[in-house]
Amino acid sequence: MALLQIAEPGQSTVPHEHRLAAGIDLGTTNSLIASVQSGAPKTLLDEQGHDILPSIVSYQEGSTLVGNTAKAHSVSDAENTIVSAKRLIGRSLSDIQSKYPSLPYQFCGDENHPEIVTRQGNINPVQVSAEILKSLNERAEKTLGGELTGVVITVPAHFDDAQRQSTKDAAKLAGVNVLRLLNEPTAAAVAYGLDSGQEGVIAIYDLGGGTFDISILRLNKGVFEVLATGGDSALGGDDFDVAVVDYLVEEAGLSRPLSPSLERQLMQQACTAKEQLTSQADVELSLTLDDGQKWASSLTKETFEQLIASLVKKTLRACRRSLKDASIDAADVIEIVMVGGSTRVPLVRSEVEKFFNQPPLTSIDPDKVVAIGAAIQADILAGNKPDSEMLLLDVTPLSLGLETMGGLVEKVIPRNTTIPVAKAQEFTTFKDGQTAMAVHVLQGERELVDDCRSLARFELRGIPAMTAGAAHIRVTFKVDADGLLSVTAMEKSSGVESSIEVKPSFGLDDIQITQMLKDSMNNAKADIDARMLKEQQVEAARVIESIQAAIAQDQHLLSADETQIIEQVIKTLADTSQGNNADAIEAAIEKVDHATAVFAERRMDSSINKALSGQSVEKL
Amino acid sequence: MNYFQLFNLELSFVLDLNSLAHSYQTLQKTAHPDKFAHASSQEQLIAVQKSAEINDGYQTLKHPLTRAEYMLTLRGVEMANEQQSFSDTSFLMRQMELREMLAEVKFADDIDAALEAAQVSLAQEYQQHLVLLTEQICENSEASNVLACDNLRKLKFYQKLNIEVERLEDSLFDD
Repeated sequence: MALLQIAEPGQSTVPHEHRLAAGIDLGTTNSLIASVQSGAPKTLLDEQGHDILPSIVSYQEGSTLVGNTAKAHSVSDAENTIVSAKRLIGRSLSDIQSKYPSLPYQFCGDENHPEIVTRQGNINPVQVSAEILKSLNERAEKTLGGELTGVVITVPAHFDDAQRQSTKDAAKLAGVNVLRLLNEPTAAAVAYGLDSGQEGVIAIYDLGGGTFDISILRLNKGVFEVLATGGDSALGGDDFDVAVVDYLVEEAGLSRPLSPSLERQLMQQACTAKEQLTSQADVELSLTLDDGQKWASSLTKETFEQLIASLVKKTLRACRRSLKDASIDAADVIEIVMVGGSTRVPLVRSEVEKFFNQPPLTSIDPDKVVAIGAAIQADILAGNKPDSEMLLLDVTPLSLGLETMGGLVEKVIPRNTTIPVAKAQEFTTFKDGQTAMAVHVLQGERELVDDCRSLARFELRGIPAMTAGAAHIRVTFKVDADGLLSVTAMEKSSGVESSIEVKPSFGLDDIQITQMLKDSMNNAKADIDARMLKEQQVEAARVIESIQAAIAQDQHLLSADETQIIEQVIKTLADTSQGNNADAIEAAIEKVDHATAVFAERRMDSSINKALSGQSVEKL
Repeated sequence: MNYFQLFNLELSFVLDLNSLAHSYQTLQKTAHPDKFAHASSQEQLIAVQKSAEINDGYQTLKHPLTRAEYMLTLRGVEMANEQQSFSDTSFLMRQMELREMLAEVKFADDIDAALEAAQVSLAQEYQQHLVLLTEQICENSEASNVLACDNLRKLKFYQKLNIEVERLEDSLFDD
């Protein structure tokens, strides 16, 4: 290490290096990837010049197709071609089967880990999403000319914990480093907000293929504060199609179950009809039935609007609730931003306009706005804009709580709480000599356990035997900036600590992910080892760089001895990371983390003090 | 460091919500995990903790009831817990009346007007108690702090009634 490094406060000593980063809109129907290039966010194109990648993966003999090539198989080979996997991700089997009864797939696996039977074997929805992410990542590396530092992946704002965790798992499977999971409406607000420099309250109405989000945000000098968010994780343009399909099934006198290919044909006809009815008064429809007969009919715009009216109304109810949660009147909203392909439906636009009493904004392509916002955030998180004033303050979409006596849910973190957040609640034993306690974590707004989403169950054991009510069990909920929850429980009255960390029971555990990674690689063992080593080396380089920058900036917070100790562990880490032992590098990183803990805390306290003392000077 | 110190505010129940919001945003611009996306995991961890603390402080100070409770705790005043019985019978009678009033809204000829009337009564009574609470907290004597605790409990009853009103509204208008 250099003897002396001179730098202005707040300035990195490392010469400016542009890190490649991208924003990914992992949509139900379509996905996109965008990146900031020469200061402007742009969507990236594939070799055919398309930016939209249909979110479809087809499992063929010996090959896995993604996007348009997969789409070609969606009718003829519906069982092996997975569309809208986002609707399945992080959901239980019974949930999927009750919400989407006419899917053309054959499901297997257990209740919490449903899988789809394909000719390539059983496929988890997380793997389907991973294929899409992999394809987009390859496109970006080709276009941008190098490996990405990381990506921001967008998720619907009201995605629950299991759905978020599964999205992150998909990225892990795809070998993509996630800088942040970003809520789709917040991403759209960033895309618009940075353009217009507006201040005030805005509403984002995001109706995608399979999901609906409404977010109310306050914009103030680069700060995007989400006041409230709401929506429906199973309501979108696909449901408009389903309404049309059900109508057609009835009109054509068909009875279910239908063959998978006829179901797919109906969905495609319905989707085309919906798109054409944005500019036409009626459309012609034709079907080839299973017996080879043709059936033809027409659909008017009026009938279509009757079919979807109740669905549109449902979105407005969510708008009303979110405004109320935010304590905002519809009249106080200065702008409404429309996001998602389904906002092209004229009835949606006119109803939203009526509700907010002003025409909504559609100046950025509703299909691209989310990816563009994500790209802007990715560029900042990657460290390309150290002077950026932008800050996103997002919220938890759903309340988090615990099961209490009588099958009731006690809320620990209410919905629309700004994240990150940590909240603790104390409980006690209700029997003499009780040594264990069951903890059941739930997500949702309803009072009864059965009406909420069960996220995890675990048992706290080893509570010292005491009389009923004497033990103090502290359960702590933490939600990080990605909106992901972790729960710990601890018995504290006797000084005996017993704590446990839980991950949601849905989705995949680390062992399953490693197994899937192995399965996906031809030369499994060697490939995986190489990847692990590479990951640790990248992490080591990041740690070294950030600590050297920290020392250059804040050496005055360390004594000479402390500086020497830190420099020593950094040197060890630098040496170790030259080698090829991933575990040793990981251990060396841990040592550095340990040795720099106090320094990191001092830096935080010092910058906090500086921030507010600067403010009081301003006031004077 | 208490939350007032964290936000660089004077320890007072009456506070300027604008300067609270301003301090809040300034602090988050310093401590939020997004500012540490490229830092070591150690620094990221500390950012998450600090940022969560700032969020908690902001929520606590922003709302008058949580702010009152926080100030009373800082003063070392013992809060009565929820199971402890409540001696003010006329207050309890009034709560029963208000609950009945809410229960009858859905049978009214003009539901909107009945709901509106119930909301107005609730808001007025809440406001009266809040004015009283402000005086009691600001007085800061042993006697006034005890009264403030009692009053805070009453205000929480109104808070619960407001949640009932929201549920009622949802059930009436979610057709």
